[in-house]
Amino acid sequence: MNIWSYVVRRLLYTVPIILGVCLIIFIIFNLSGYDPAQILLGKHATAKQIAEVRAELGLDKPLIEQYFDIVKSAFTFDFGRSWASKQDIIEMIKEGAVPSLTLTFPAFIISTVISILLSLLVAFFRGTFLDKSVVIKCVGMMSIPSLAYILFFQWFFAYKMGWFEISGYEHGFPNFVPYVSLPIIIMVIISLGPDLRYFRTVILDDIYQDYVRTARAKGLTEKVVLLKHVLKNSMIPIITYVVIQLPFLILGTLLLESFFSIPGLGGLTVKAVFDNDFPVIKAMTILSAMAYVVFTVITDILYTVVDPRVRLS
Amino acid sequence: MKMLQVAIAILSTTLLLSSCTKKVDLTEKVLNLSVTSEVKGMDPIYSNDRYSANEVARVYEGLLEYHYLKRPYTLVPNLAEALPTVSEDGLTYTFKIKKGVMFQDNAAFPGGKGRELVAQDFVYSIKRLADPKLQGLGWWLLDGKVAGLNEWRDKNAAKDETDYSEVIEGLKALDSHTLQFKLKKQFPQFLYSLAMPFTFVVAKEVVEKYGKEFLNNPVGTGPFMLKDGVFKQTAKRFEYIKNPTFRKKTFPKEASDEFKAFLKDAGKPLPLVDKIVVQIIKEDQPRWLNFLKGKVDYVSVPKDNFETAVTPDKGLSDDLMKKGISLLISPSLDVTYTAFNHDVELLQNVDLRRAMALAYDVNEMNKLFYSNTALPAQSVVPPGIAGNMPDYKSPYREQDLAKAKELLAKAGYPEGKGLPELTYDCPSSSTSRQIGELFKKQMAAIGVQIKVVQNTWPELQKKITKRQVMLYGIAWGADYPDAENFLQLLYGPNKAPGANGSGYDNPEFNQLFAKAALMQDSPERTALYEKLNRMAADQAPWIYGVHRQNFTVKHGWLMNYMATDFESGQAQYLNIDLEEKKKTVGKL
Repeated sequence: MNIWSYVVRRLLYTVPIILGVCLIIFIIFNLSGYDPAQILLGKHATAKQIAEVRAELGLDKPLIEQYFDIVKSAFTFDFGRSWASKQDIIEMIKEGAVPSLTLTFPAFIISTVISILLSLLVAFFRGTFLDKSVVIKCVGMMSIPSLAYILFFQWFFAYKMGWFEISGYEHGFPNFVPYVSLPIIIMVIISLGPDLRYFRTVILDDIYQDYVRTARAKGLTEKVVLLKHVLKNSMIPIITYVVIQLPFLILGTLLLESFFSIPGLGGLTVKAVFDNDFPVIKAMTILSAMAYVVFTVITDILYTVVDPRVRLS
Repeated sequence: MKMLQVAIAILSTTLLLSSCTKKVDLTEKVLNLSVTSEVKGMDPIYSNDRYSANEVARVYEGLLEYHYLKRPYTLVPNLAEALPTVSEDGLTYTFKIKKGVMFQDNAAFPGGKGRELVAQDFVYSIKRLADPKLQGLGWWLLDGKVAGLNEWRDKNAAKDETDYSEVIEGLKALDSHTLQFKLKKQFPQFLYSLAMPFTFVVAKEVVEKYGKEFLNNPVGTGPFMLKDGVFKQTAKRFEYIKNPTFRKKTFPKEASDEFKAFLKDAGKPLPLVDKIVVQIIKEDQPRWLNFLKGKVDYVSVPKDNFETAVTPDKGLSDDLMKKGISLLISPSLDVTYTAFNHDVELLQNVDLRRAMALAYDVNEMNKLFYSNTALPAQSVVPPGIAGNMPDYKSPYREQDLAKAKELLAKAGYPEGKGLPELTYDCPSSSTSRQIGELFKKQMAAIGVQIKVVQNTWPELQKKITKRQVMLYGIAWGADYPDAENFLQLLYGPNKAPGANGSGYDNPEFNQLFAKAALMQDSPERTALYEKLNRMAADQAPWIYGVHRQNFTVKHGWLMNYMATDFESGQAQYLNIDLEEKKKTVGKL
């Protein structure tokens, strides 16, 4: 099948998915029963003004009309303005996505590359002291809560040693580099443990296959066996694991962004939930669902690249 | 191999760049501030939280402001030439507006040059606050108070577009520099509204040019303006520079005794600093560390650093003192409390309420949650405003378990027998839950069973409004320095969804309150406030908590700073001693 017709077909599947997502968030919003007008008006709310604000927000419209408003916004990308801050939601997301990506994307690349290389190394030395000590260290690193890394690294490296900025952010390269370096290091350390263990398992699954024995019997060096044969065959689970993380990179990391005052998207959804800021919750949910679908399609296409036996149908 | 070389090159460049941490700016007077929450936007009519209000007040101004160096809080003219003349019936307020005040330069004005402020700008700005299409969050200030304004609002609610051209009886520009308000009934607190950012003046041309983006394009008459002109809500850092066209406003020449030392700057043109950098730092640790590094000029002492920063006798630790840091302790105009829902029949039993109030050990709560820094509340009005009685002791304040048990039996529930389990609703933070658990333990001592229920903030608000709570823990901060703002929390007609969430409705209290609320500030009104305050203690409509105190630390180079509940506009009075900063900052 032509790759483009596959992509178009898969993207068309997005339509019912988005309709379903709209329905779910609409039901949850209506079931939760909080009155956004009351929350907006705060401590001086009066019954009359609550009714007026409800009308202004369109909450007095029939339910079916409210649902179609959500669907319309999903397909036009016009999510309107935040109820809490009155800001244009698409602008908020655009402005927040870049700082989030300056932190998460480098951290993701670095941690993925280091994890794959290290996992190949420990797989090569499987069962030895090196392998065991790396696995133990991974488990140890995973056992420490990420907040502990953040608090300690910020206090020690940024405050005590003065190597990094304590917190803050400036737009434009290279202005943001001093601000994101320490959070990137922390994020790499946090993801290293689980990534390395997973990749090691995947590689070890392959390393005992017949084709590896054949390759060795043919007299190939261990480097060629690992990098050309084992790694290529391990790519399918690795790609699945890696690509599916990509949409979440845009969403940012709540704790790191909060502690390092990075103006990303990490706290946007959480704040919207606390404020009952439905348009923002709606936008973030719909965009996440779309991103998830798109990256699943990318994953499928990448399968065909690394393994010619995979056919898209 | 090539890949490896490239990777090493990228990594080393990054490390090189990252090692260049920013130096503290010592070339000009920069005020470095930190705020703990997001700022929503820069439209005065939506500035209902202190963070947004503070940012709005750097750029915009109102008719009145609080005298920076006088306590008790005193209103003084800001954009008004003088305090208003008030008609004999107390209903008409006439203001003369200062001449020669200019709006900041902006493309919205012809030739990009800001024009002179006129009285009609205030008429427009107040109408914006009342505009039903905009749903300004400060409408409660004017609701039902200005003649013709509610009618104008109601009429326009039905229209597609609000008609700003219609003249309103109670809100008129008599000439270019005379503004007149006519009230429907006497309301002495009205003047406080004119010192709040909700009523700060905006220019019609700017609102019309930017439309919905007006909230990101602030153009006022104030001392500062955004460096880039545009407010980016998602940014966690805002920079302001001096407004070059700011009028000749000078530092006050009079002060209350406690602020006499600040008079060094008396008569100097405002603002005193060249630039303000505001950083949003939500977490305590980075805010505290930035302060210790000299990158923030003052902060509230975080709970987790309290014991290392403040000594048991409420002094500053030697370590911080050596760095030239000083500690300021100031009471907040607020009250924390546990409210009874008076719609629940069994909670209408005054003996039960009194018994529970006597079982509550506020001192233990103060020690556990406020490091013994708060003041136990005797009643609803906090210290610092007329109506609070410094020597007054509520009969139901200090824990007395024997008397509590006696009253519980009198209420019909000896040792709690026959009393159903009561629910205590609180917000979802861990501290709120802990306060709830302490309450549960203390009530168990007299046999009252409590179930603690945590809620998100919207959920708690909804439950209070819908009367689905029995007891709930909450706090109130002053909107303006008048006991009326606290006593109205117990005024029957203000029942939820109004501010009286507990639904307390005592005809005698209501009658006295309605009378006091119409009176001008006078010894008679203070006497009435005190009477109401005593009634509020005696009837135990709530179990009172504490009046909190601010513990703020500041660097030695920051001049003229004091902690205040009404900090909007404060930045223009603050000063930086650059010599002191140069000497100190290197040692931090």
